[in-house]
Amino acid sequence: MSAAPIEARALGKSYGVSPVLRDVTFSVEAGQGVAIVGANGAGKSTLIRLLAGLAAPSSGAALLLGAPARTLAPALRRRVGLLSHQSMLYPNLTARENLEFFAALHGVDNPAAAAREWLERVALGAAADMRARGLSRGMEQRLALARALIARPDVLMLDEPFAALDAEGAATASTLVGEAMARGCAVLASAHFADTLAQLGFAVRLLSRGRLVPPEHCGPPQSVVRPAAVRQVS
Amino acid sequence: MIAAFAAVLRKDLMLEARGGQSTVALVALSLLVLVVLVFAFDPGGGAQGRAAAAGALWVALVFSGMLGATRAIAAEHENGCMRALLLSPLDRAALYAAKLAAAFIFMALAEAAAIVLMVLFFNLQFDARTLRVAPAVMLGALGFAALATLLAGISSRVRGGDLILPLLAVPMFVPALIAGVKASAMALGGAPLAELATWLKVLAAFDVAFVAAGYLLFEYVALEE
Repeated sequence: MSAAPIEARALGKSYGVSPVLRDVTFSVEAGQGVAIVGANGAGKSTLIRLLAGLAAPSSGAALLLGAPARTLAPALRRRVGLLSHQSMLYPNLTARENLEFFAALHGVDNPAAAAREWLERVALGAAADMRARGLSRGMEQRLALARALIARPDVLMLDEPFAALDAEGAATASTLVGEAMARGCAVLASAHFADTLAQLGFAVRLLSRGRLVPPEHCGPPQSVVRPAAVRQVS
Repeated sequence: MIAAFAAVLRKDLMLEARGGQSTVALVALSLLVLVVLVFAFDPGGGAQGRAAAAGALWVALVFSGMLGATRAIAAEHENGCMRALLLSPLDRAALYAAKLAAAFIFMALAEAAAIVLMVLFFNLQFDARTLRVAPAVMLGALGFAALATLLAGISSRVRGGDLILPLLAVPMFVPALIAGVKASAMALGGAPLAELATWLKVLAAFDVAFVAAGYLLFEYVALEE
């Protein structure tokens, strides 16, 4: 049986004596979406950084496509896309140049054509020649999403994917994420509220003080989608 | 790997051509160093003047090299772009090679300007002796770019990194610095390249050592905690 594309096994992370994540175990199968919701400081972004291999776990294992995320081979990194809370865009490159650059890095055939396609898909065609530093926050978020998707990854990790997006932007993002899942991409997303993600069929899990709350302790689905209503589990 | 190296280098050169901040800053720093040292030494002509000129040139190289390498790496941390590079299929050694190449190009441009300024401020002549300085300076620029790029990968991620880079880089560069100053002073005195061979070999060995070290180690310094 092949390993799940995204897998956390008893994953833990501490900074000094302060634990940020404790014993987090879950997996995301191909074509499945999992949304991690939680309050500020719950450890959502840290979890994504560990699974993206950008930080080393203090305990447990973070696996992507069956291999340790921290030492992922280039051929496997080609299949991973990340939308971080930082845009990961070069401020003095235009929207088009940013996408062409990252498409070239990910080995996309004809980066220029791919950049044109994805600029249209995120409704930034008119801003193609605008430098990234001149984009509004919402436009930047859409461009960052295009950067994460341009190589058609098999694994997609989204940290607050709908942040700064207006209704139209959020709808576009939902469509693109749904399309990715439909073609078999495993998607992990973090959010404060998971309403939109739940509507896309994401399984919603609550992260509280660094621990994944067992589903049986989460109450009705609506309370997980909006965790402010959930009684905190220590 | 070559395609990825070319993409990163092309991106860096495009950004520099668009903004020009790094090259202008390096040239300005070289000018400042040379001006300060020419007033500090007040060199006359002859061997003493040539030695002072060679020393000033290499001080400018060290300072501009630290600034160039720091800016080359720091640019990747803006907006978290380094994370995107580390997540891409880009070979980490290719990333190092591209950043090294960019730092070297910026340093080479700054040093070319510094050589011109050195001739002007230290009352030297634009002749074959000035040209014979170029091999030592270019080898030194490559070696310092290799060293500083590797160390900048560390210093960019730690608190007080601006202090750590010069504290680490300058002592490690001393062997090449001595060789470079000696070779440059001899070249300005009219010595043929054959007489500079020993010092040029020291510089070349330094380059090989630190380019190899950076190539092998950059992956470990670039990754986050």
